Amino acid sequence: MTTTMKSMFHSDINQSSAGEGHIAHSTDTTAVNALEIKNLNFFYGSFQGLKNINLNILERRVTAFIGPSGCGKSTLLRTLNRMYDLYPGQRAEGEINFYGENILEKGKDVNLLRSRIGMVFQKPTPFPMSIYENIAFGVRLYERLSKAEMDERVEWALNKAALWTEAKDKLNQSGLSLSGGQQQRLCIARGVAVKPSILLLDEPTSALDPISTAKIEELINELKKDYTIAIVTHNMQQAARVSDFTAYMYLGELIEYGKTDQIFIKPAKKETEDYITGRFG
Amino acid sequence: MNDRHLSSQFDEDLNSLCSKLLQMGGLVESQIEVAMRGFSETNIDLCNQVIDREKTVNSLEVEIDSSCAELIARRQPTARDLRLVMAISKAITNLERAGDEAERVAKRSKRIIEQSVNYKINAAEIKLSGQMAIDLLRQSLDCFARLDAVGAAKVVEDDKQIDEEFRGFVRKLITYMAEDPKMISTGLDLLFIAKAIERVGDHAKNIAEFVIYIVKGSDVRHVPHDDLVREATK
Amino acid sequence: MSTRDPSLFAKRKRANAIGLTFSITAMLIGMAFLLWILAILLWNGFSAISPSLFFASTPAPGTDGGGLANAIVGSLMMVFFCAFFSTPIGILAGIYLSEYGENNKFSEVTRFVTDIMLSAPSIVIGLFVYAIIVYNVKHFSGWAGTVALSLIAIPVVVRTTENMLKLVPTTLREAAFALGAPKWKVSMSVVLRAAKSGVITGVLLAIARVSGETAPLLFTALNNQFFSTNMNAPMANLPVVIFQFAMSPYDNWVSLAWGGALLITFTVLGLNILARVLLREKVSV
Repeated sequence: MTTTMKSMFHSDINQSSAGEGHIAHSTDTTAVNALEIKNLNFFYGSFQGLKNINLNILERRVTAFIGPSGCGKSTLLRTLNRMYDLYPGQRAEGEINFYGENILEKGKDVNLLRSRIGMVFQKPTPFPMSIYENIAFGVRLYERLSKAEMDERVEWALNKAALWTEAKDKLNQSGLSLSGGQQQRLCIARGVAVKPSILLLDEPTSALDPISTAKIEELINELKKDYTIAIVTHNMQQAARVSDFTAYMYLGELIEYGKTDQIFIKPAKKETEDYITGRFG
Repeated sequence: MNDRHLSSQFDEDLNSLCSKLLQMGGLVESQIEVAMRGFSETNIDLCNQVIDREKTVNSLEVEIDSSCAELIARRQPTARDLRLVMAISKAITNLERAGDEAERVAKRSKRIIEQSVNYKINAAEIKLSGQMAIDLLRQSLDCFARLDAVGAAKVVEDDKQIDEEFRGFVRKLITYMAEDPKMISTGLDLLFIAKAIERVGDHAKNIAEFVIYIVKGSDVRHVPHDDLVREATK
Repeated sequence: MSTRDPSLFAKRKRANAIGLTFSITAMLIGMAFLLWILAILLWNGFSAISPSLFFASTPAPGTDGGGLANAIVGSLMMVFFCAFFSTPIGILAGIYLSEYGENNKFSEVTRFVTDIMLSAPSIVIGLFVYAIIVYNVKHFSGWAGTVALSLIAIPVVVRTTENMLKLVPTTLREAAFALGAPKWKVSMSVVLRAAKSGVITGVLLAIARVSGETAPLLFTALNNQFFSTNMNAPMANLPVVIFQFAMSPYDNWVSLAWGGALLITFTVLGLNILARVLLREKVSV
């Protein structure tokens, strides 16, 4: 038996599972928690969208959230940058500690928070401005840069998003003139340009073709060296390819959370296994 | 094999894969049986039958491996399904080798019969351990069909007996061969036959270990026996 | 295997033909009247088109020649100032209604009032401005006219701005918020920009609408026989001049009236076409 086959069989005896108020830990103790979610409950009016979520997201790792539609994974992601604040009637209870500070506390500067926890959405949404302006927009909100410095930042961001070579000759053209995959990479560049600590990706490739998807997955692999990434995806194979940790959610609850390899080879809970093997239903 | 996938085609593919494995297992079982009968009844026709049927065993291995690859490519199985496919792919290697052992037994038996040596070595142990090996293989395949990890742990345990028998027989052979050097040639043939049977037992044990892997997700090859039992019964 | 009933299909075909015939006929009737109006205008007004139309002021009763210079300038000035005031007020109000006042009582009332004003009789508006401005300062003025026109234009701008802004997808707003932008910046720099062409269309349509309003100006700016750019005094304007000249006994007056009507019609037509062209450009930076 070759060593590669042997490693495929190796299972992580030290498994993690969550639910019923236990805090889920990863087995990697060298990295720091970027986000600690404690007893999070979320309500759309009277409907409870998230039930008692406890979860730690490690810095500079990719954490994926999977589960059937309506399980609450997007809801959870949107609590992390308080996007739900835009809509009256939606409220969150509990604690979300971002490097120690609770972002759900009253009186927090939500806009400043969002500049440190960025988000990329499912549908590419370039602003109706030039490519340059699209990226400069976010940067200008919180930083004062000279023209030269801004040029540099734009180039850096576009490079990070693997879009520089394709876009460098048309920086003054509208962001809408790019193809779908390029637009999404522009949105990622835009998110990265403000140098957040965390990037939240809400189904970033569901609207894209396989090649653009692969490019963006490659990008995520590069980005995780510097950023903490949380990604919601309904494509399980994508979660398996891209993430270090995976969380399975169902009907607003966190069913299981652990290392991706373990979740996909030997999940601790039958519900998780049923979902990822396609026995769901 | 238990609850169903949303895709019924996936279920069918998996079930057909398992059936083919069991079919191959049944064939190998009968090969060993027939080889042992050829040995004990000194029937050269039975030995030739085994040698001829070896091709079928080999082609089944190739066929099943190819089906495994197709399933992985098409379905990207995960968790239990992945473990099942990986285990099947490895189990058929063990089965194919067990088939080789049966052929070896048949060939050696044929040699002994052709040389018409009237050996005076009591080969009752061979017959006994041969039967034990056949039973062990049947049990391991049974546990596979039922995905019974506890039964599989017992199979692993029972293999030790075959090993014991083999060691005992080797000691006896040494005595015989030392007493009568003319017996050495036949003695060696008998030794190889006994070794082949012992290996069949090992292959059955490996298949049982895979069953535990499928059901519990723990890789119990090369693991101390107590740990294995713990994994199988938790 | 087919259970298709050929008579059903034939019946549908017939109904389709009948419907199509009716709609085409209706369209042709509408187009016919539009073309008829334009034809009559051109027929009667074309003779009045000459340089003097644009450079000479309205002639005194009985005198020959003359033009519409003072009326044209007067209209232009009043419409310009109307646009100058209504555009920012209307756009900002539209932004409020769309971005800030989604569901509160105040917005509901505002929308209600705006809708009423949209369909208020323009003569009532004219009388209203007469009562509050002209009566109190005791003279007609171009400013009063501007105010009256603005009261008509603002609801149009508010409504179209609000509708156009609402068409901007929420995801675009969320994307801007996600970068940490404060609400006013999201509204102005992103949402308004995305709805730019629609909002401008709204403004153009408002301008087109007020260019031809006569009744409000009757009670506010009145008219001025002479060339004047003094907004604080009665001001000549095209609609009132047309009103005055069209049924007069003087030939040159009648001719000038037709010329004026032609001018207004084609200006309004032009503005509407421009608005349509702008709206068609989806990708605007």
